[in-house]
Amino acid sequence: MFKWVFLVVILLILVGKFWLTMFFVDGLSMYPTLNNKELAILKKSAYANNTPQRGDVVAVKYPGDPDNKRYIKRVIGLPGEKIEIKNGEVHINDKKLSEPYLEDGVATEPQQIKFLSNNQYFLMGDNRLGSNDSRYFGPVETRFISGQAIYVLYPHSKNLVK
Amino acid sequence: MRKNKKKALMFGLYTRKLVFFSLVLVFTFSVLEASKSIKSYKADDYSSFRGSSAGNISQKIEMAKNGDIVVDGKISKNKIDLLKDYDELRLLVLEKPGKYINSLEVTLSLPDAIASQIEAEVITQHGVGSSQYRISGDNVITYEASNIAATGEVTIVTKIPKGVIEPPFIRTVVKFINDIKHSFWLLTAIVIPGLTLFCLLAILVFQYKRQRIDIPEKEIDAPPMAIPPAVVGALFKQKVGAREIAASLIDLAKRGDIYIVDRERGFVFGKGKFDQRLLGFEKILLSKIFSSAISSDRKDIEQRINQHLYSKKMSLLTVGIYLLATRLGYFKANPFKMHFKYRMFGVLLFLASFAGFVLSLYIFKDPPYAVFFWIGAMIASLIISFTANNMPIRTPIGQEVLSNWLAFKKYLSNPMPIQYDEANPELFQKYLPYAVVLECEAAWAKRFSEHNFIIPDWFVTDKGGLGLDDFCLTLYPIVSYVGKSFAAIREPGFE
Repeated sequence: MFKWVFLVVILLILVGKFWLTMFFVDGLSMYPTLNNKELAILKKSAYANNTPQRGDVVAVKYPGDPDNKRYIKRVIGLPGEKIEIKNGEVHINDKKLSEPYLEDGVATEPQQIKFLSNNQYFLMGDNRLGSNDSRYFGPVETRFISGQAIYVLYPHSKNLVK
Repeated sequence: MRKNKKKALMFGLYTRKLVFFSLVLVFTFSVLEASKSIKSYKADDYSSFRGSSAGNISQKIEMAKNGDIVVDGKISKNKIDLLKDYDELRLLVLEKPGKYINSLEVTLSLPDAIASQIEAEVITQHGVGSSQYRISGDNVITYEASNIAATGEVTIVTKIPKGVIEPPFIRTVVKFINDIKHSFWLLTAIVIPGLTLFCLLAILVFQYKRQRIDIPEKEIDAPPMAIPPAVVGALFKQKVGAREIAASLIDLAKRGDIYIVDRERGFVFGKGKFDQRLLGFEKILLSKIFSSAISSDRKDIEQRINQHLYSKKMSLLTVGIYLLATRLGYFKANPFKMHFKYRMFGVLLFLASFAGFVLSLYIFKDPPYAVFFWIGAMIASLIISFTANNMPIRTPIGQEVLSNWLAFKKYLSNPMPIQYDEANPELFQKYLPYAVVLECEAAWAKRFSEHNFIIPDWFVTDKGGLGLDDFCLTLYPIVSYVGKSFAAIREPGFE
């Protein structure tokens, strides 16, 4: 009996640590993709053998306080790329980035140019006017990305993977 | 009138079980909570710069050679992270000060004159006007931030070349383990239990070969000796289980100590003559069934089973049977004690592995792949526990006696029908308890399929015209249910 209780607990911990876990979205910086208080699934194993791709919604440890603060953002720039924000638009290696997940007419500010090193990602929230992200705290190293948000469970189910 | 009032059920469970399962639930959810499986991830709102009153802050931080961080003379809980290519100090020096800060200056003293080799950075958020760092000495770096809002946060980052910091041994070990590739840890989760299984199987095969029981060619048409069926079962399987309890019930009924009443919905056990020749374990079994009443129905027995999480009596019954078999010289040592020794080793290894598992979750950086080593150890401990019961421990006498009983089993399970013998009309029920413990009761019943069956006087039923098959189909579920239920409530270690 006790053995089975132990085994179930261990199994749940393993699943939560290495495969899937759940989290509540806190805030509106990923609006309209994610809303405040939504319950979503994070695939922690997503980047065990792969690297984050542009457009992925990822959970990231805030580089300024990685032990305590975790954010949910979208991958915009990949390692080695040049990110330029100008005229309210995002340009990757001098090509305009198409961002269908943004609300119509939303401009990205402030203007800046960033060159990413070979282990850095540029992350932004979809709510460009109300998101604290790489535009302010800088690019994020690979080690701070802890998984990919793949599905919204509650209150409305939604697939976050393209 | 019955003295013992039946205990009321809560949520369909008896009090002790309800308390137990509640504790299990609380424990489970505590662990889940501790592992923080459900977190809140900020989709962080940008806080605009706002200021109220001006202020200047300066802070002195010293980095010790062993990686300790001393802030204003006190050792901080923050430590230097030992990374693969460099060591790193990542320190949140200002978090939501609650008022406007005009300027912040943090002076970091390094353990050696390596300021020029340092890679530094200032990370800010939630309203910080500007930030920068500068080398202000051979071993000093100064970090500066200005126009900090009440909600502002400032973190300083210092990347130190390898070799400057000389961390304590334990941190070096943790780092070494952290750096091991995850494929290695996954492999340990397979190799450790695999090796354990291989070794134990090798020991089992060796022991079985050493203690080989010769399957007799001839069959014996009578029990080789007058020993209780439960002891025969213990000798046969080296275990006491549901079959031994069920066979003891039939044996007791056959001897007139109890009678079994079949009812439309359930059954009743009635007290018989209760003579003085009862063995210790039989007395325990009867006391578990009857308590102080002269009869006991299914509900009474269910209540007795359910009101305890474990039953001391049933554990003693098991010990009693093992003890008798050991005294008869069938086992090198009491099988219970032998099994218990192995099982305790397994349980202790399991608990130690579980402790290692939990510690690894907190010590190693996320994801803590080292836990797979402990998973492997836990699986190994379970293999040890499960294998323990099958370690052969019969003496040469036990092997010889068992060989005789196997010859009797051959007779019981012989497919040839038995001719009706007027001198021995109760042959079927006479050997039925032995057939149950030797796992051949169906074959034994088949040998009598052509007889005109007469229901034994210890079995009462209102069903008319009951044949042998109907009798078996009615009796077996009753004794099997009681046997399984009683066997299941033995204390841990008695399974």
